[in-house]
Amino acid sequence: MDGYFYAVLIVGLLSTVVCVAGGIRGIGPNDITILSVAAVELTLLVYLAGSIISAIGAGGPSGPAWEFWGYLVTALVIPLAAVYWSLMERSRWSNFVLGSVGLIALVMTARMNQIWYGPQLEGAALAAWIF
Amino acid sequence: MATTEEETLKSSRSSGPGRLIIAVYAVFALAATARAGFQIATKFSEAPVAYSLSAFAAVVYILAAVSLAKAGPRWFWTSVLAVSVEMVGVLTVGAVTLASSAALPDDTVWSAFGRGYGFVPLVLPIVGLWWLYYNRSDRERR
Repeated sequence: MDGYFYAVLIVGLLSTVVCVAGGIRGIGPNDITILSVAAVELTLLVYLAGSIISAIGAGGPSGPAWEFWGYLVTALVIPLAAVYWSLMERSRWSNFVLGSVGLIALVMTARMNQIWYGPQLEGAALAAWIF
Repeated sequence: MATTEEETLKSSRSSGPGRLIIAVYAVFALAATARAGFQIATKFSEAPVAYSLSAFAAVVYILAAVSLAKAGPRWFWTSVLAVSVEMVGVLTVGAVTLASSAALPDDTVWSAFGRGYGFVPLVLPIVGLWWLYYNRSDRERR
């Protein structure tokens, strides 16, 4: 697992905790919960930029390239879709929808790490078992 | 841009907890479609049954997500059908893969009751059917 994974782990879980806490308190999406999802999106954009630079400099993923980029593009779309969906009805449940973004980003980043580094990735067996 | 007519036709199934349920269905529709598309495009001949099943699961998830979000009795019954097929699918495929790992040589979303996806595929149709029962008045709404 690389730095991008740990960045998404921290930002994603923080976002999930903030959004779920908002949902439990019974409030709808607000600046804090939406900005926490924006932070996840930003982290994924950094992952995208870093991955493009690595792919040009040191070669792309060891696994199927278009599977990796497919995951990354999908992961980038999900926070946007979640914010759109949550703003159509600003109830507590929309905060739970926003809370799912961090977890989904985390799972997808773990998978992207597996594709990028291949089976020799440290912790890959554990990640494969969990996910 | 919702007109008054659209407001009155708004489905209660897409409101409240339904927001989250539909969001999870949408994510699974996306994941299953991407997975099936990738498997069929790159290695269909390796496990044609498993990959056809992946594609079938993808269609079921798409149908469930769309029908849960739409108002009206026709969409209500469409979602009952989609979620029921999903329930039967995950139970059948889960049982078959446990009984014989050779039956489906590569994983689908429903293999081993959805273990590869944290068992969400097993829990989701249960929640879905409960949600449809909870909103059963939708079946008659014009």
